[in-house]
Amino acid sequence: MNAIDATDRHIKSTDGPPPSLLAIILDTNPHAWAHLSSILPLSKAVASLLVFINAHLASGNANEVAVIASHSQRTHWLYPTPTLPTPHSTSTSNGHDANGTVPENANKYRPFAVIETAILSNLTTLLNSTTASSLSATSTTQISGALSTALSYISKSHIRHSPVDPTINDHSTITTPDTDGILGQQRVSLTSRILILSVSGDLANQYIPVMNAIFAAQRQRIPIDILKLAGDTVLLQQACDATGGIYMAPESPQGLLQYLMMGFLPDATARRALVLPSAGSVDFRAACFCHRKVVDIGYVCSVCLSIFCIPSLPDSKCLTCDSHLSLSTTLTVTPALIPRKKKKRKRGPGESATPAGSSTPAPGSGTPTHS
Amino acid sequence: MSEASTSYKKQDGKLLVSRDGRTVSWKPNAPSTSPLTIAVSEITNLQQTPEKSAKVSIKIVVQRPSASGAENHTFAFTSATAARAEQVAITSLLRKSIEAARAQNGSTPVPAADDGGGPSAAMAIAQAVSAGARAEDNMFDDGRLMSNTDLQKSLLNANPALRQRFDQALREKPDTITISQFSAQFWAARVHLLRAHAVEKSQSQGTYNVLSEVKPKNVDGTTRLNLSKEQIQLIFNQHPLVKKVYNENVPQLSEMEFWSRFFVSRLFKKLKGEKITETDSTDPKLDRYLNFEEEAERTRQLVMAHVPHFIDLEGNEQNHSQRQGNRPDWTMQPNTNERVPILRVLNSMSEKMLADVTPTDADPHAPSGIDEETYKELQLRDLQRGASDNRIMLKIKDQGQFFSGEQDARGSSSASLYAKRTPDQVLSTIQKDFKTISTNDKHAGGLNLESTIGVQEDSDSEEDERSKTKTRVGSKFTRTAATAQIMGAIRQRHLHTDDYLSSSSISSADQAAKLGLGPTVFESLVMTHNTTVEFLHYFWTVFLSGDPDRAGEAQKLVETLDKSLDRISAVAKTAENERMQKIEKSKKQVDDYMQRTGKRRKFDPNSIKGGARAVTDMMTPLVLAIKTATEKYRRAYELQMAQIAQLQNMV
Ligand SMILES: [Zn+2]
Ligand SMILES: [Zn+2]
Repeated sequence: MNAIDATDRHIKSTDGPPPSLLAIILDTNPHAWAHLSSILPLSKAVASLLVFINAHLASGNANEVAVIASHSQRTHWLYPTPTLPTPHSTSTSNGHDANGTVPENANKYRPFAVIETAILSNLTTLLNSTTASSLSATSTTQISGALSTALSYISKSHIRHSPVDPTINDHSTITTPDTDGILGQQRVSLTSRILILSVSGDLANQYIPVMNAIFAAQRQRIPIDILKLAGDTVLLQQACDATGGIYMAPESPQGLLQYLMMGFLPDATARRALVLPSAGSVDFRAACFCHRKVVDIGYVCSVCLSIFCIPSLPDSKCLTCDSHLSLSTTLTVTPALIPRKKKKRKRGPGESATPAGSSTPAPGSGTPTHS
Repeated sequence: MSEASTSYKKQDGKLLVSRDGRTVSWKPNAPSTSPLTIAVSEITNLQQTPEKSAKVSIKIVVQRPSASGAENHTFAFTSATAARAEQVAITSLLRKSIEAARAQNGSTPVPAADDGGGPSAAMAIAQAVSAGARAEDNMFDDGRLMSNTDLQKSLLNANPALRQRFDQALREKPDTITISQFSAQFWAARVHLLRAHAVEKSQSQGTYNVLSEVKPKNVDGTTRLNLSKEQIQLIFNQHPLVKKVYNENVPQLSEMEFWSRFFVSRLFKKLKGEKITETDSTDPKLDRYLNFEEEAERTRQLVMAHVPHFIDLEGNEQNHSQRQGNRPDWTMQPNTNERVPILRVLNSMSEKMLADVTPTDADPHAPSGIDEETYKELQLRDLQRGASDNRIMLKIKDQGQFFSGEQDARGSSSASLYAKRTPDQVLSTIQKDFKTISTNDKHAGGLNLESTIGVQEDSDSEEDERSKTKTRVGSKFTRTAATAQIMGAIRQRHLHTDDYLSSSSISSADQAAKLGLGPTVFESLVMTHNTTVEFLHYFWTVFLSGDPDRAGEAQKLVETLDKSLDRISAVAKTAENERMQKIEKSKKQVDDYMQRTGKRRKFDPNSIKGGARAVTDMMTPLVLAIKTATEKYRRAYELQMAQIAQLQNMV
């Protein structure tokens, strides 16, 4: 920590790695944390996270961080504190509202203290405003909202960092002669990633919004890292896999800090040179939308991509989008495995048609997948 | 609604296609005869008289569900002036309606017309409906591709990997399954490959830049020129100027002399786009044409293209200000670009060659010039009023809604875990815990991270003695466990990374070496895997077909799948033997070393990778798939046997 000094700024040259924005989504589902409290209390987890954030900021002068709480029914900004549109806004020179006084401590690097204070005070506000009645309504977390918030914040940051013309879609580095006194870093694109510290399961009912967020992240090349402390894995593991993020389900959650520092500290630039920890085989199976069962064979609506575990839907209509959805009869027939006796023709006419070619399923459609 | 005057059974009347396209009806002009109504969905065939014949009529073949035979209805178009036009209108409308009706019914087969023999009625409709312009699409129809054995052979020849797979699977298929059954199955899963191959084969090569292909060769000091008849034809085609020069000079010069002079002339160089230098030999006859070319070509090109004036960019080309670097072209004259002739020549060459190719995406018999549709395409739609929105609106329902009833009961795996605490308890637990880090904020300059994360380097060693603190947050024990887990994950990823990144570039031998397997073992493993997957495909298709005639096939396939398991274990055995040999060899080396030096070297047999374990590790998913298939089969089989037994008891 002592090496971090403002004077470093002048040595930094334009050809260094691009600044990295880390958006952390902290799942603050009180149910799950209360359940985890004997193993890993929220306070310790937050402390570990603060150390991790400091490490991230220390590894690059221009690195940035954003922390979002994914609470039981809403998302809440932990850092930066959103500036309310009041005329007497007391924002600091960094553009961050410090939200109260930052305690003076000679042994603490001030930017670290600013972030720490903001996160702790915002989290306190969040927890104090949580009511028991809101907790009884749900047992899961607002992960899709948090993901969208993170993605839009990253998108905004990209525009802030992009070279002069914010309408240019391509965020590639444009080298401009560094003569006008503007720091080169400001003209360099930003690499971003999202880390979700997840403790909740039951995310299947947010399948569509989460999937949309995953695809958006994929397009923007934003890896989504998952640190899964508790809960079922189905959806988030796919998020990781689709975006090239790191998935980790700690076997000993007490070592949280070690997981964070070893597994999740490298940014996108560093990752290109590293072998990343992999989750092994990914469970690609989806949960059906009708019962949230994880299915081996599912039936997919061709319009909205909803997945169902049964081929016979009420009125042959997709439950999600009401499109007409009649599933091929070839998939619903019961197998006939006893050879028919030649003489008795019990079956009706119409099955004498030649089998070849007429009803061949697409390759692989009949083969169930296994994890 | 569309209607036309027709006669039916020698009675005059009107033929109508209803607005919704569901019925065709004929109403007699004289009320004495009864009208006729046909449902479009019952039409099995539609025929018309040839376009050139004097009589204009259509024949509708109808299969009513109640009747056993098909009915034929012939309508003659009687309009004196517009019989043909009316017929075309009615027929096209009917075709559309039939297509719509068929699309609605999905794949329900149309009952075959009972006229005995010949192609089925469904086929006939398909032909009637898509006659003409879409005939080509039919070439790529699944059924046609599946039955085209020549195409399949040609694809197998073109794709060695596929051929290997095909042959291997064919060899191992159960004997009771015929080759035709097998190949139908094999290609059913690969229709897309067949289609791609058919498309590829239907592509033909166009003309080439002939002048650059003809190269005089120097043999024994004399220049030889090989020029085929086709090449001369092509030269004349691509360079009309040469034709002109040839026509004007050849009686005087001999054919031989003309060509040999041409290929060393400045004119040749110019046509090829090469720079003419002072050292190039002159030719009084041919050099006269040096300045001819440009003008003649230009007019030819302008005549060639049917470009409507309002999109004729060529007209603006020369005055395109951006090309001059924002400077308007003040000469307003075509520029000869003498400095880089090659670019110009290549461009005009390409244009000429493209112009010679018959476009495949247009009807060759359509009138030249611009048609109505193209004209509409060219309209500047940006300047028009916004078109009405024709998107289909999706009404997405909240998904929480349709399983809300079950959510608490079973949907939520964690709900039961959380149920131990009431929301109030949850809240107080969390808030109490969080106070421990949020309240010491005010004094001591914020949170002491070092103590909060629980990492205490000094006390860790003795602390670990007490088992109770092993699970303390941040203890050395948990950190070591975390490190181990991450390193394990990294190692696992490392093993797979290479084929992850560049599956095509890494050779199977490298991959085999990484796993500690010999190349032959690896090879046979890949083979076994391929054929087993093939049979699994086959099995599921038969199993899910629900066709009792294929029950025998299913049974045989299950036996084959069982054999696949044997094959896998055989490979595993070979691999294990291989590994044992390696271990023996290493042991011997250690012993030799011991004898020579008297020193003992450590040897761990576990350090030799590969063997049965490597094979089993790799084959686990496949074995699982086989077991699932056979299991499913046996269960369904037993169930059906039981049902039959029950039925027989009842009888
Ligand atoms: Zn379901
Ligand atoms: Zn749908």
